[in-house]
Amino acid sequence: MRRPQKLGKDHLGALLLLALGAAVFALGLGYRMGTLNRMGAGFIPVVLGVLMMGVGIALGVTAAPPGQREMVNPLPGHGTHAGGPDWRGWLCIVGGVVAFVVLGDHGGLLPATFASVFVSAMGDRHNTVKGAAVLAAILTLFCLIVFHYGLTLQLPLFQWT
Amino acid sequence: MHQSLMDLWFGFGIALQPSNLMWSVFGVLIGNLIGVLPGMGALTTISMLLPLTYVIAPVPAILMLAGIFYGSQYGGAIGAILLNLPSHPPHAVTCLDGYPMTKAGRGGAALGITMMASFFAASVGIVVMIFLSPVLVQIAFKFGPAEICSIMLLGLLAGATMSRGSPLKGVAMTIFGLLCGVVGTDVISGTMRYTFDLPDLADGVELGALCMGLFGIADFLVSVNRTTVKPSDAKVSMKDMRPTRAEMKQAFWPMVRGTMVGTLFGAMPGTGPTITTFIAYALERKIAKDPSRFGKGAIEGVAAPEASAHSKTQVDFIPTLSLGIPGDAVMALILGALIIKGIQPGPQLITEHPDIFWGLVASFWIGNVLLVIMNVPMIGVWVRMLQVPYKYLYPAALFFICVGVYSTKNSLFDVGEVAVFGIIGAIFLMLDFPVSPIVLGFVLGPMLEENFRRAMLLSRGDLLVFVQRPISAWFVGASTLLIAAQVLAYARRPRLAVVNEQASLVAE
Repeated sequence: MRRPQKLGKDHLGALLLLALGAAVFALGLGYRMGTLNRMGAGFIPVVLGVLMMGVGIALGVTAAPPGQREMVNPLPGHGTHAGGPDWRGWLCIVGGVVAFVVLGDHGGLLPATFASVFVSAMGDRHNTVKGAAVLAAILTLFCLIVFHYGLTLQLPLFQWT
Repeated sequence: MHQSLMDLWFGFGIALQPSNLMWSVFGVLIGNLIGVLPGMGALTTISMLLPLTYVIAPVPAILMLAGIFYGSQYGGAIGAILLNLPSHPPHAVTCLDGYPMTKAGRGGAALGITMMASFFAASVGIVVMIFLSPVLVQIAFKFGPAEICSIMLLGLLAGATMSRGSPLKGVAMTIFGLLCGVVGTDVISGTMRYTFDLPDLADGVELGALCMGLFGIADFLVSVNRTTVKPSDAKVSMKDMRPTRAEMKQAFWPMVRGTMVGTLFGAMPGTGPTITTFIAYALERKIAKDPSRFGKGAIEGVAAPEASAHSKTQVDFIPTLSLGIPGDAVMALILGALIIKGIQPGPQLITEHPDIFWGLVASFWIGNVLLVIMNVPMIGVWVRMLQVPYKYLYPAALFFICVGVYSTKNSLFDVGEVAVFGIIGAIFLMLDFPVSPIVLGFVLGPMLEENFRRAMLLSRGDLLVFVQRPISAWFVGASTLLIAAQVLAYARRPRLAVVNEQASLVAE
């Protein structure tokens, strides 16, 4: 990343760890702490929360100044991670999983299958509506034969609840 | 020794039972098949097929998982060599010389050498496993809760600091994994912890959902619209796979040295396979007469890292099965599967479940023979598999993930967990955090907590017990050394900058 930013990746990561650690710590205090001899349910989480905050601070202190030698060395073919998320991809992929959950409950296996494949496929900018629909249809058929008849998956093909 | 050979004979009897053999073959085949696909590493493959193990008996289940593991590892090498595409991080090193060989028209020979190297290395690893495991078990029986805690600490620290990039980030992810393991009902007091009043979380986070979120969905999220995978135009036929006599001669000693590196590192809990392959490669380059050949298609640069990866894979099973301490995320997954099947890994495993242990050892050999037999005629199929475009691949994989997680407990809630862990994993990945230590922490977390609490109960709250008991003190000492080494490396960072640069290039 050439463009100087206010916060480097390491600083963001450090903040995230601090927040996570603090949240775990705060929630952990709600459980019984006990003593070292007889530990309560809260002991380990509280310790872990403190450790996490400690690592967060250490990371923030040792972080490279923003814009300087940030490690952007992805494996070839594994995304560059740089420049923020690809919103369309994120929306469609997460949407695909959510569609499976929602339609699995209110619709059944076949609608859930079709929707999850179709929605997630639309996340790739090279996929057309037609291409995604064909892919979804093929996998729905596959699902019917292999998972429903072959492996007798519990989820009904269609259901309205 | 005689006993070990008898046990091995018994193991072959188990592994050759038709149903066990069938699942083993299935695992190797499917692992190889999915491992070849771009972007599908051993972790993704195992987590996708993990639900299948819930419905079959423990022995075939574990044989199948092991088969998937080395099958996909071998499959990953194909992508690395022919397409410059390491779907499993350890293969990143193989790309450096494997892909130039493909461009020079020797891709087939590189694959052939990989196959020989992996078979040789795996065989050595298996032999080590046969003779070392019973010895380790003898020691392990002396372990009390304090020792188990210390060795887990060492394993977790090694796993966190020896993966990619910043050791601090690795430690942070291990802690995050431990925290994920805390979610659910506390076994000692029955308190619900971090369940956010969701009854579905009372049993804790589902292992399959966690892994598929972190290694499946998260990977799709950071890769979508960003991968620039060019379809391979490499044409490899069966007869291309035979390396020339000169190539064989050139590759022989690197193969032996790579195997030694892998065996050595496999015995150390927590050191990942990526670092092993990197060291094997660096060693070859160091002792080569003409180091400038490396990176331009030197066959040694393929043979050594592949051999080290495969011997490490085998030797890794020793601490996993005999101590219950997994060496890396893949081993953690296999361990998790064992626990789900109600089998407690640890020193008692070999005596209580000899069928699993010796069956597994024997099936390794059978599986590796299968890999060789299968891969020669099927190479044309694998090359065609490599050409499946990502835009069709990931929606299909996403669907398999959903169905797989659902079928584990017939719970759509678990599928929702996948989405959540996918987002969490993608955020961590974008901030350059490694995600595989999370699995290590998650699987070991409950065991660590239980043993820690027990150790404290026995010592009446005296933390010094960890350094007073000799075996435990040794592990604590090693952990301290590890931390000291990291601090030292940080203090001397300018001089190491070049090495780090290289390490981060090849490591995931």
